[in-house]
Amino acid sequence: MIHAVLIFNTSGIPRLTKFYTPLHQSSQTVVQKIFSLISVRPAGLCNFLDAPELEAFLGPKDDSNERWRVVYRNYATLYFVFVVDGAESELGILDLIQVFVEALDRSFENVCELDLVFHFDEVHHILAEIIQGGLVLETNVEEINLSVKSALKARKDSFVSSHPLALGSGGSRNGGLQTHLNWLTDRLTGVSGR
Amino acid sequence: MAANMRGLTQFIADIRGARVRELEEKRINKEMANIRKKFKDGNLDGYQKKKYVAKIIFTYILGYKVDIGHLEAVNLISSSKYSEKQIGYLAVTLLMHENSDFLRLVVNSIRKDLDENNEVHNCLALHAIANVGSSEMAEALAEDVHRLLISPTSMTFVKKKAALTLLRIYRKRPEVIPAAEWALRLVSLMDDQDLGVVLCVTSLIMALAQDHPDAYAVCYTKAVDRLHRIVIEHEYSGIYTYYKVPAPWLQVKLLRLLQYYPPTEDTTLKNVLNETLQIIMTSSAEPSRNVQHNNAQNAVLFEAISLAIHLDTRSPLVDTAAVLLARFISSKETNVRYLGLDTMAHLAARSDTLEPLKKHQGTIILSLRDKDISVRRRALDLLYSMCDIDNSELIVGELLRYLKVADYVLREEMVLKIAILTEKYACSYKWYVDTILQLISAAGDHVGEEVWYRVVQIVTNTEDLQEYAARVVFEYLKTPSAHESLVKVGGYILGEYGHLIANEPGYSPLEQFQALHSKSQFCVAPTRSLLLSTYIKWVNVFPEIKSQLINIFERYRHVLDAELQQRACEYYALACLPDDNEMLQNVCEEMPPFPPRVSGLTSRLNRKMADTEDKRTWIHGGREMNLEQQMTTLMRSKQAEVPVNESTTASGAADSTMFNALAGLNLTMPSEAGESGAIPRLTVGPSIDKWYKKLTYSAEGVLYEDVQIQIGIKSRFQGYLGQLAIYFGNKVSAPLTSFTSTVYVSDSEAISATFAKIPANILASRTQSQQLLQVECKKVFTAIPILTVSFLAGAHQSISIRLPITVTKFFEGVKFGQADFFERWKLIGGSPRESQVVFPIALDAAGHIDLPHNRRIVSGNHFEILDGIDPNPNNIVGAAVLHTSVDGKVGCLLRLEPNREAKLCRLTVRSTSEEVAAEVQRLMEAALRTE
Repeated sequence: MIHAVLIFNTSGIPRLTKFYTPLHQSSQTVVQKIFSLISVRPAGLCNFLDAPELEAFLGPKDDSNERWRVVYRNYATLYFVFVVDGAESELGILDLIQVFVEALDRSFENVCELDLVFHFDEVHHILAEIIQGGLVLETNVEEINLSVKSALKARKDSFVSSHPLALGSGGSRNGGLQTHLNWLTDRLTGVSGR
Repeated sequence: MAANMRGLTQFIADIRGARVRELEEKRINKEMANIRKKFKDGNLDGYQKKKYVAKIIFTYILGYKVDIGHLEAVNLISSSKYSEKQIGYLAVTLLMHENSDFLRLVVNSIRKDLDENNEVHNCLALHAIANVGSSEMAEALAEDVHRLLISPTSMTFVKKKAALTLLRIYRKRPEVIPAAEWALRLVSLMDDQDLGVVLCVTSLIMALAQDHPDAYAVCYTKAVDRLHRIVIEHEYSGIYTYYKVPAPWLQVKLLRLLQYYPPTEDTTLKNVLNETLQIIMTSSAEPSRNVQHNNAQNAVLFEAISLAIHLDTRSPLVDTAAVLLARFISSKETNVRYLGLDTMAHLAARSDTLEPLKKHQGTIILSLRDKDISVRRRALDLLYSMCDIDNSELIVGELLRYLKVADYVLREEMVLKIAILTEKYACSYKWYVDTILQLISAAGDHVGEEVWYRVVQIVTNTEDLQEYAARVVFEYLKTPSAHESLVKVGGYILGEYGHLIANEPGYSPLEQFQALHSKSQFCVAPTRSLLLSTYIKWVNVFPEIKSQLINIFERYRHVLDAELQQRACEYYALACLPDDNEMLQNVCEEMPPFPPRVSGLTSRLNRKMADTEDKRTWIHGGREMNLEQQMTTLMRSKQAEVPVNESTTASGAADSTMFNALAGLNLTMPSEAGESGAIPRLTVGPSIDKWYKKLTYSAEGVLYEDVQIQIGIKSRFQGYLGQLAIYFGNKVSAPLTSFTSTVYVSDSEAISATFAKIPANILASRTQSQQLLQVECKKVFTAIPILTVSFLAGAHQSISIRLPITVTKFFEGVKFGQADFFERWKLIGGSPRESQVVFPIALDAAGHIDLPHNRRIVSGNHFEILDGIDPNPNNIVGAAVLHTSVDGKVGCLLRLEPNREAKLCRLTVRSTSEEVAAEVQRLMEAALRTE
């Protein structure tokens, strides 16, 4: 089972945190712990890491075969991290991370960190089409994209029905987003890390 | 969506603009205060609620604790607008956990969304249950979720979510899912056209099958068939290829599912499976340039290797796998090295011979120094698993050497493993003591209590070892930096056995005392208490240092620690008794051996939790450990099947020691509970018995027929082998999908029945398909094989009927002359090798004995009718011999004496085997008797 899906950047700031198992401590400390484990690992090491350290956060796994395992992948400034148990295939999860990234890319057209910040809800909706309750729901980018689109359409429809006079569609991220991002770029230049 | 809520975008921008964390916190606190106020004032419309809840979610994602907005989220869920509903559900799944009180408030909204005729709403509701579903919710909504899963009108994306949601419900509240009852219906979903649905359903089946292996047994065939279709027939839709690998996740899942079952006995399945695994292994041999492609391919490959190991460690497949693995563990890619070592550990854990692995011992030991800790861990696990009596000194030596430079986090586990290996594979006591003491002195702080307890246990129970142990431990104590654990071992062993070496130069009582006592000041109170006990033992055996010892007790009588003080006082009193008092001697008797007990070390390493999570199918450690492990799992599953109301189990189940004791009982008990769940319930119908009865004495005919389906049989028997062609005819104008046929044999020792190939799972409209069933009679059998056919035709249908495979089908008639016949008849003699019965029979239309009918039945049961032996022409005498592959041939004679006036018939069967006589009598009576 997949117990957590996390995205954080190379400074350790979380961009997505989704836990499928109740936590024993605050999510921030978990992210920090995992970040400290992963960020010290140079490129070229394997993408899997046993993490008995996580027992304090996610509950004990006494059996050495059922250990918490972290499967992670680094894309540009972002770390995609899955916390899994022994029942998952490590490489399967690694592929799943790739699927997740491709699905994000499909929805955001060249996804970057900013997209994850301003569309955190959308990121969660996309994740929900891939993993449900800690289990793999769908692995096919086309299918995932279709489901995301159908949810988007439902949202658009509900927007139009409640704003009959609105011009254009409120749900469309392309129309709305572009202006927002432009509007923001001025404010954001010169702002570091955070 | 965040994009069209300007306030939210502004809020996010502000936080991003905050240069230091204090500013960010300040901004968030301000916002939260504002939201709290707005919520308190009330009167918010849907949009505002949505906006504020979205802000709260964002704050939560940043890692801040939020404690507001739960109620508003609950309100949003029941909104009619999808955009508000969606944010509401997101908030519920993120902000609440399964024990949250607020969840009670959403059960009804969720039920409404589940029942609605709107798929996107269904999906939101399913997703919420799957993420935060509590056991209360599971109970309330299980039926609705199940309906969405099996309804033929459900869209595929709803089915997928429903399958996983049902799994969540099962994990939360197993008892709300009638798993065995739903088995065939759920398994039939594995035949779905959509591979996405198959993937999700397989996850569900995997969990259910682990708890109900018999009820879900048919999923084994389905999984093999699906793998075969993907890997060999290339039957999959193009969109499910991932970097040119067809449906890797599904393949992995199916391969994993098969590992939860014991290796199949069915030769057809076995062959198909071997062929499939072979193809997977050969096609993965050449790596490509694309990382993604390699990953996916290797994911399948590693799982396939695991399955091959699980099926049979001696198969040629495993030899191929071993060669591949050897290549992997020295691969340049770290991921591949990691998984290579991991899978090799699986092989080591199961294989009877470690020889092929030992060839690579050098590489593996080298991996202990890999640059990646993950790889180092796997190498450690593998060495642990592949250690045996021959290489233990080498491996333990390497591990000890590595321990000194090992990662801090690895040490405790390493110490435990070294201790276990040393004990298990010690070739001499001397080596054992040397190694363990070296381990304790090297690892120090990482040595758990159980390690030194165990040394003491073993030394106490092994007389030959005591003197040597005392000498070695004394040497260690003389080094300036002996670790506290070593002091404890030293204290105990010298106290008990110090006197054995006291006469040798350099080991005098005084020297022993000085070595030990010089360490005392660096030790914590519990260790010092232990030392006091050592001293009182010495008072008994070393009168020469008594004065020093009494001195110490005297001093300790005034320390603050209560335990120390009490011991000191008592020991002081004891030591000061007059010399002729036997008290001291009695108290300080040598310790009796410990009762033999299992090492606490392994149990520490392999503590298991009994829950409904998926487990790995093997554990680290050698073959014996895995066998043990399987036994305990087996016992647990038996335990689970015994009804809870049984007084014995109910009382003790909670207590683990009681539990173990009872588990043994359960093993010897015939597990009726388990079996009754597996025997298919026979379908009843007015003609079913008639059809069956007719087929017991004829080679072909109709076995079953209703408005949808017709089943016919043609059979042929030769010696102990038989072949049944079973014809399935679809009578309706729609295809029967998920068509599954299985044969249930209760006594597989006596008879085997396997389909020649895996049947197709669709029966097209108004067509007939044929399946060949191969039958082999191994011994005399009485349980009739049962055919179960299930399919989807609108609803799910399932038919279970007996197959006309009786013991007489394996008879072959023999011709005898009169003299020969009577000689044998007499030779066999009467009871118990004779079975006789009298029963009513029907006469023909003219009121005569229906001789042709009787003859047909006797010869239909493969008897040779011997004419002219019995003077009465109405009587029938027959002879036959039964062929079995294991028990050889058994002769059987029969005499049938009908009486027209009484409308009765006497049947006498004699056979060299009592079993055969009784069974033939039963079968013939059933065929001839009239009600």
